[in-house]
Parts: sequence; structure tokens; C-alpha cells
Amino acid sequence: MQLFFEQFPIVVRSLNVGFLQTLKLFFVTLIGAIPLGLVIALGSMSRVKPLSILSRVVVWIIRGSPLMIQLLIIFYFPGIVLGKPIWGGGEGGRFAAASAAFIINYACYFSEIYRGGIQSVPVGQEEAGLVLGMTKPQIFFHVKLSQVIKRIVPPMSNEIITLVKDTSLARIIALQEIIWAGQAFMKSSMGISGAIWPLFFTGVYYLACNGLLTLLFGWIERKLSYYKV
Amino acid sequence: MAILEVKNLRKSFGATEVLKDISFTMEKGQVASIIGSSGSGKTTLLRCLNFLELPDAGQIIVGGETLFDAADPATQKERELRRKRLRFGLVFQNFNLFPQYTALKNVMLAMELLAKDKTADARNRRTPDEIEREAKALLDQVGLSNRMENYPWQLSGGQQQRVAIARALALKPEILCFDEPTSALDPELTGEVLRVIRSLKSSDRTMIIVTHEMAFARDVSDHVIFMDGGVIVEQGDPNAIINNPTQDRTIQFLSRFN
Ligand SMILES: Nc1ncnc2c1ncn2[C@@H]1O[C@H](COP(=O)(O)OP(=O)(O)OP(=O)(O)O)[C@@H](O)[C@H]1O
Ligand SMILES: [Mg+2]
Repeated sequence: MQLFFEQFPIVVRSLNVGFLQTLKLFFVTLIGAIPLGLVIALGSMSRVKPLSILSRVVVWIIRGSPLMIQLLIIFYFPGIVLGKPIWGGGEGGRFAAASAAFIINYACYFSEIYRGGIQSVPVGQEEAGLVLGMTKPQIFFHVKLSQVIKRIVPPMSNEIITLVKDTSLARIIALQEIIWAGQAFMKSSMGISGAIWPLFFTGVYYLACNGLLTLLFGWIERKLSYYKV
Repeated sequence: MAILEVKNLRKSFGATEVLKDISFTMEKGQVASIIGSSGSGKTTLLRCLNFLELPDAGQIIVGGETLFDAADPATQKERELRRKRLRFGLVFQNFNLFPQYTALKNVMLAMELLAKDKTADARNRRTPDEIEREAKALLDQVGLSNRMENYPWQLSGGQQQRVAIARALALKPEILCFDEPTSALDPELTGEVLRVIRSLKSSDRTMIIVTHEMAFARDVSDHVIFMDGGVIVEQGDPNAIINNPTQDRTIQFLSRFN
């Protein structure tokens, strides 16, 4: 027990460093995937056939294969093909590769949510805007957007909570996120070796993070509950 | 001079021709009712007038200006159509109110957007104060002065349709179209909406009403158009058509209402 109290601050300090990397990957993914998802959604709804087919095929491939394989391909494949790695060495290079893989993967999931949200707005809303002399962009921003957001908040919150947990996959390319940090204590790290509890303890971080996100999304949903669609 | 001339309008969806050579004229201030069985093309005709559908053939002429000519692509540019739509208004069967806005904001929104539009007519470049005053006056006119801050879901169907009517009036369309404005309402709510529509009759407002309310059509309109299978079978004086139809198809259709 005494040992535990001696180990605890050391472990927490180490896990904090890993968790920072987890959070960085989480936010970078959101910042990249939220707008990229919109681009893909607009592409897949485009009237230009080749564009919509291309978008849908990309979404199908990305959603149909494991994120872990996508990580490995994005990390190693350019190096194999070009003969030299493009991601640079060290943690920075691994982070860049992981970010690219996560952004592409999550953009595809988000794009399907957006598409569903946009297409679920009744066509009568657009027609009402048109007969009132509105332009297409005015209709999108003043009539549809709020309704789309209201509809996509619940599925987006599910997806974003999944993202928090999915970041742990990045350790397949040795990104030093929190699970990687926890696992290190099983071998040896910071003078502690053969300890498994730090790995279990990482769960607390995920729970705390997702608890906060759940509160945040609940708040947004309540903010938008003043009207019904 | 006629305010509206519809000439030889045709519209097909795929292989089915839904409007077959539709022609009629209206004078300013007239109210026309369009009656006819389901699928006869009434909604399609109103949608063509509001350029939600583009006719395959024919012309739409308002106040002497050819707004649309199927043979002249220059009349069909999207930018132009948006401006031309302002000459018509359309009240939908299922209201299509904007759910995220209050009744007042529903009426104000299009006025606000138009006021910001540099290319809009001078009469539409209104100040925020004028817009709010105008919207409140319109809601008052349809009997909803105590409902302005309510959202659509807080209103009954009849109230929602009256908001939709106020919204359509906001841009002062020359020709206001109603597509079965009471068909989505419980019977006890149709009266209030029909009363409002009747009260809108005025010498400078032209109205076209698609309706299944025969007594209303007879009492409120100056002109009745009976459509069947995409053609106008019979049109003319409301009493003559509804009380003494001459065509077999009209007689058959009207017999269902007695
Ligand atoms: N967008 C469309 N695509 C294909 N067919 C259509 C479309 N819109 C209407 N139609 C067809 O055109 C015909 C006329 O439809 P319309 O809605 O104009 O009839 P209506 O007289 O308004 O009928 P109702 O009294 O039921 O409202 C119908 O057979 C309908 O199925
Ligand atoms: Mg109809």
C-alpha cells in the first residue's frame, strides 16, 4: 500500500504527459475532420456524377476498413512507395501521420452524419424560402443550418465520444498517448516496473473526458430544444 | 389590362404530361378558385406560377411583362427567376413555417434578407423598425397579435397557416396563391383560415386559391377554374360553374360534394 502511494504521483505525472498527446490528437482530429467532413458531404450530394461517386467510394473504403490498418498504411506506405519516409522521425512525425489518418477517417464518418442531417430537412423548407425570394445560400444559412445542427448533435456526440476512445489506436504506430504511457509501466518506466494498475487507471482519464463531453452535448441539445423539427 | 396571363402552359414529369395546354387570364383584384380531383395538376400549376417548376412550354405574363417564356431561355435565368418569384406568393398546404423562428420572425425573415439586398427594389429596402412594424401589423391582420412570440410547434394548425399567410403577404406579392390552405387542418379549424383569406380580398390583391371547399370557392371567388387530367375543362362565373356545370366531367366531380 505504501508502495502504491509512492508510485501514484510518478504514474500520474507520466499519464498526464500521455493524456496531453491524446487530447492533442483528439482536438486536431476535430478541427480537421469537422470541415473536411462537410466538403465530403457536399461532394457526395453533388450533381456532378464523378464527384459524388468518388466521394461515396472513399467514404465506403474508409468506413469499411479498420482505422488501425489505415493508420499503418498512412504511416508506412508513403515510405515504401517513395523510398523515403514523409512523416519525419520521432514523436512529431508519428503525430502528423496519426492526425492525417484520424482526420480522414473521422471526416468520412462526419460526412455521412452531415449528409443525413441535410437530407432530412423537408424539401418544403427550401421551397418556402424560394417563394420568399431567398437565394440558395440564404436558405442554407438562415433556414436549414439550424435544423441540420439540431438533427446532427446526437449522432455527432456519439461519434466524438468514440473518437476519444479511438485515439488509443495510435499507439500501433508508437504514438505516446495515454495507453502507451500506462503500458510502459508493465515493463519499466520511471523506475517502476511490472505494475499493471497504471494501465487500468488510464480508464479514469477516458471516463472523465467523456463525462465532460456528455455534459457539453447535453447542454447543446437543451439549448436547441426550444423548437421542434 | 390583365394582371396575369397564362398561355398554353405544358408540364411533364418524365413521360406523364401533367399540364396540357393551360391558358387563363385574371384581372387585378380578382379571386380565382381552382377546383378538380386529385392528380388533376392543380398544385403543379401553382408551382409553375411560382417557378418552383419550370414549364416545358407556354408563357407566364404579369402586368404585361413576359416573366417566363419556355421558348426564350433568357427568361429562365436563376437570378432573374428569384426576382420574378417576388411577384407571386404561395401558401402551402402544410404551411412550411420555419420551426426555429417565432411567428414574428417567420414573417420578418424574408423582409430582412431582402432589405440587405443591394439589388432589391426601393420599396423593399426597409429599415429594421419598419420591418418589425409591418410584420406585427400583418400578424394582427390575421388575428395573431397575441401569438407573435410563439414558435410554430406552440401553435394550432389554423394558427400556423395564418402565420404562413402573413409571411406570404410580407413581400407584397401581386398575385397570392393558396394550395389547399385548409386541407391539412382539422375541420373545426378551417373556418378561421377561410375567414382570413376572405378578408384579404381587395382591389389590388389578386388571388388564386386551390380548394376543395366548394361553398367557399363559390362565395369568395370571381372566377372558377375546373381542372381534370391536366386540362381546364370549364371556367367562368362561380355560380354558373358550381351550381350549373355544363360539362359531364364537371357535373361528375361536383356531384361528390352534395
Ligand atoms: N415532381 C413530380 N414528379 C413526378 N410526378 C409528379 C411530380 N409532381 C406531381 N406529379 C404528378 O403530377 C400529377 C398532378 O399532380 P398535382 O400535385 O399537380 O395534382 P393536384 O391536382 O394538386 O392533386 P391533389 O388534389 O391531390 O393535390 C400527379 O399524377 C402527380 O403524381
Ligand atoms: Mg395538390
